[in-house]
Amino acid sequence: MSDLDHAISLLRSCKPIPEPAVRELCYKARELLIEESNVQLVDAPVTICGDIHGQFHDLMELFRVGGDVPETNYLFMGDFVDRGFYSLESFLLLLSLKVRYPDRITLIRGNHESRQITTVYGFYDECLRKYGSANVWRYCCEVFDYLALGALVVGAGSFVGDESEECEVEVVGAGGDVVTRLKRRDDGAGLMNAVNPPQEGDGGTVGGPPGSGASGSSGGTRGVNNGAVLCVHGGLSPLVDSVDKIRLLDRKQEVPHEGAMCDLLWSDPDEIDGWGLSPRGAGFLFGADIVKHFNHLNNLTLIARAHQLVMEGFKEMFDSSIVTVWSAPNYCYRCGNVAAILELGEERNGSGAGIQWSATTGRGQTFGVVRRGPGRRYRVFEAAPQDSRGMPAKKPVADYFL
Amino acid sequence: MSDLQRSFQKSKLAQFPPEPPMPLNSHLGALDEVDDEQEEEEEGQYDMEEENDLDSRTETPSSPCSSASSTSTIRPLFARPEPRKKASLEPLPWNQYFSSSLYLLHEPTSAVYHAYLTSPSNSGPLFVMHHGAGSSGLSFALLASEIRKLLPAAGILSLDSRGHGETKTPNDEDLSLPTLSQDFVTVVELVKEKCGWSGKMPDLVLVGHSLGGAVVADVAMEGKLGGSVLGYVVLDVVEGSAMDALQSMQTYLSTRPSGFTSLAQGIEWHTRSRTIRNPTSARISVPALLHHHHHPSPDQPPSSESTQQRPWRWRTDLSKTQPFWSGWFVGLSKKFLAARGGKLLILAGTDRLDRELIIGQMQGKYQLVVLPEVGHFLHEDAPGKVAGVLVEFYKRNDRSALVLPPKVSEMYK
Repeated sequence: MSDLDHAISLLRSCKPIPEPAVRELCYKARELLIEESNVQLVDAPVTICGDIHGQFHDLMELFRVGGDVPETNYLFMGDFVDRGFYSLESFLLLLSLKVRYPDRITLIRGNHESRQITTVYGFYDECLRKYGSANVWRYCCEVFDYLALGALVVGAGSFVGDESEECEVEVVGAGGDVVTRLKRRDDGAGLMNAVNPPQEGDGGTVGGPPGSGASGSSGGTRGVNNGAVLCVHGGLSPLVDSVDKIRLLDRKQEVPHEGAMCDLLWSDPDEIDGWGLSPRGAGFLFGADIVKHFNHLNNLTLIARAHQLVMEGFKEMFDSSIVTVWSAPNYCYRCGNVAAILELGEERNGSGAGIQWSATTGRGQTFGVVRRGPGRRYRVFEAAPQDSRGMPAKKPVADYFL
Repeated sequence: MSDLQRSFQKSKLAQFPPEPPMPLNSHLGALDEVDDEQEEEEEGQYDMEEENDLDSRTETPSSPCSSASSTSTIRPLFARPEPRKKASLEPLPWNQYFSSSLYLLHEPTSAVYHAYLTSPSNSGPLFVMHHGAGSSGLSFALLASEIRKLLPAAGILSLDSRGHGETKTPNDEDLSLPTLSQDFVTVVELVKEKCGWSGKMPDLVLVGHSLGGAVVADVAMEGKLGGSVLGYVVLDVVEGSAMDALQSMQTYLSTRPSGFTSLAQGIEWHTRSRTIRNPTSARISVPALLHHHHHPSPDQPPSSESTQQRPWRWRTDLSKTQPFWSGWFVGLSKKFLAARGGKLLILAGTDRLDRELIIGQMQGKYQLVVLPEVGHFLHEDAPGKVAGVLVEFYKRNDRSALVLPPKVSEMYK
C-alpha cells in the first residue's frame, strides 16, 4: 500500500496523519493545483457539493449518499474547514483524494480557505491542538492559495431519471426514495422576468425553435458553447462580467478584502434589482437581472454556489438560473438544517442542456437566447449520528454580561 | 534569561512569517520568557506599543475577518497590560476625550440626563454610545478619540444611563429595557434640540456594549430614531451566552470588592483583575464607577468599619438590578437580525453565537468580527482596533457615498 493510500485510509477513519505526511501531501497537492486554471473545466457527470465546515462524519454520510471517490466524480465548492470539530481530517481527506484521483475530484476555494478566517473560526486552533504547533495549519494555508476560484461543468444532460420518466428536477431523500419529480416546463427561464414563452420546443426535441438561428447540441458536441454550469463559492462580482475575466485573475494569494477574487468568494444572490451592499461586510448582493444577464453573456445555463446556509439543503432562485447548495447538515451541530448535493448527469443522445430558443422581452424586442438548465438531481441528507468522542469540551460559560 | 537564550528567542521570533500565530495561551509557553524582557520596560510604553500595533493593523480594519489582521504582528503577545510597579494609577479627566459634558433636563419627567459629546462636523456621522450595566459613558472615551483620529468629522455622543454615572432621574432603580430604550431616544432628541440639528439629524451609528447592545438593538427595532440610523453595533453580547451567564452572575458580583480605599486602588483592581486590560482606559473610566461614601451624617446609620476604611463604593448596585436581567437579553438575537440598517457584532475572544445568530451569520445577514486578546470591555482594551472596525462599518453603510455598479436595466437604456 502506498503512503498516500495509507494516509487516505487513516483519514477515512478520522485519524490525523503525521506532520511530515501532511507536508508531503500539501506539497504534492500544490504541484497539482498550480497547473489548474482559475476556472477548472469539469465534464459531467459530476456531483456538486457545498460547505462542509469540518463536519467529518457528515462528509462520510455525503459519500455514502452520493457514492465514493473515484466511482463518483465530485466537485466541492469550498468551505471545507472551520466551525466543525474535524476540519483537519475533512480537508486532508479531500486533499489526499484529490492527489490520488486528480480527475475525479475538484476542489475550489471558499471564503474560509484563508489565513485570516481560519485563525478566528477554529481551523488554526484545531491544528494547534492536534499537532502542538502551527506548521500543519501553515502547510494547509499554502494549499488554500492554490485552489481554483471556480469550475465550469460542461456536457451536462437535460434530464434526470430513466428514459421512461425524464424529469428536469428530482429530489431524492436520505433513504434513496424520490421525494419530488418535476417535469420540464418549457416556458423558458423567465429571462428578465418578462419573457414570452416560446410556443415550441417541447421536452424531447433537439435544436432551437425557428428564429433562434441556433440549433442545440445535435451530434453531442460537448463544450462551453452548449451552455455550461458555473460553480463558484459565493457568487458574482461587479468587476467580472465574463468567465474569462475570472481566468485572468492572479489567484495565488490570501483572499483579499475587496476586488473580484473577494467578491467571487463572498457575494450572495438576493431579491433585489442590480447590485447591493452585502451585510457581511465583504462582497456584494446581486439580483436576478445580474444573474440572467451574466448567464446569457457567458453561455451559462446555471450558476451553482454555496456559502449560504439553506435549511432545506438547496435553494434555486431567479427561475432556476442560480442555485445554492449546502452540504453541512445540522450546521455547527445545532442549526437543525438538512444538507444536499447536486448531481448533474451526462447528456445522452446528444440532448444537451444547451438547447436554445429565442426569447423576447415583454416589449417585444428579441433579447437573446435562453438556454434550458441541465437536469438536476438533489440528494438531501441528514446529519450522521454524532460521535461525540474527540469533541472539545463545551465552551466555558461567558463570565460576563454586565 | 541569558543573553544567548535571549538572542536565540529573538532570532526565532524573527523567523515567524507575517501572518501566523494567534495568541493562544497554549502555545505561548515557549515565548513567555520574552515577556520578562518586555516588562522591564518603563510603564507608559503600553500606550505607545498599542498605537504602534494599531498602525500596523490599519490595513484591514474593515474586513469581516479583520480580527485576524492583528496577527500580522506578534506584538500583542507581549503587550499584556499587566499593572507594573511604576504604573500610574492617576485618574484621567474626561475633557481630553470629549469636547463637552452635557446635563440635559427632560422637563416632562424632570430627569437630568448626563452625556459626553463631541459634535460631528461637515456632515460627519454621530456615533451614539450606550455602555453596559455598571459602567458609564466614559467607558467609550478612548474609543471616541480613536474614532476621531480615523474620521475627524465624526461626532460621538456617550451617555450615562439611568442609575449610572451622573444621570439623575426620579426613579434610578427602574432599569427595565423599555425605560432604558426610551432614555436613549430621549437623550438623542435632547441633544438634537440643544445642538440645533432640528433641520437635519446627522447620520447615526448606534453602538451598545453588553446591556447597551440590548438597548441599541431594541431602539433600532422600534425605529424611534427614524431613517437617520445607518446601522447599529453590538459589542460583546449574545443572547444565548448572556442568558447562560446570568445564573453565575450573582456569584461573580460577590467576588468583587465592596469598596476601595482610593480611586487609584479601584483603578488598580480593574487592571489587576483584567476586567479592564488597558490601564489608560481604566484611569479614565473607573473613577466614574465609584463614588465617595461621606462620613456618616446624623441621619445615616453609623457606617461600618469597612466603609470607613474603603470609602469609595460602587455607584451602581448591580445585584439590585437582577430583576431586569433576563428582560434585557430575551429576544436580543431576533431584534438584532430583524431591525433595519447595517448590523455589526463585535465579540471578544471566541465566537459564542447562539443558534439564531449562527444561522443569521451563515445566511449573510450581518457582519461579525471576533477580536482576539481582548476582554469583555473590548472597546477599552483595544480602542484602536474597535475604532477601525466601526469607521469602516460607517463608510460601508454611508448612503451618501455609496455608489453601486449599474443595474442591467440601466445598461440598456
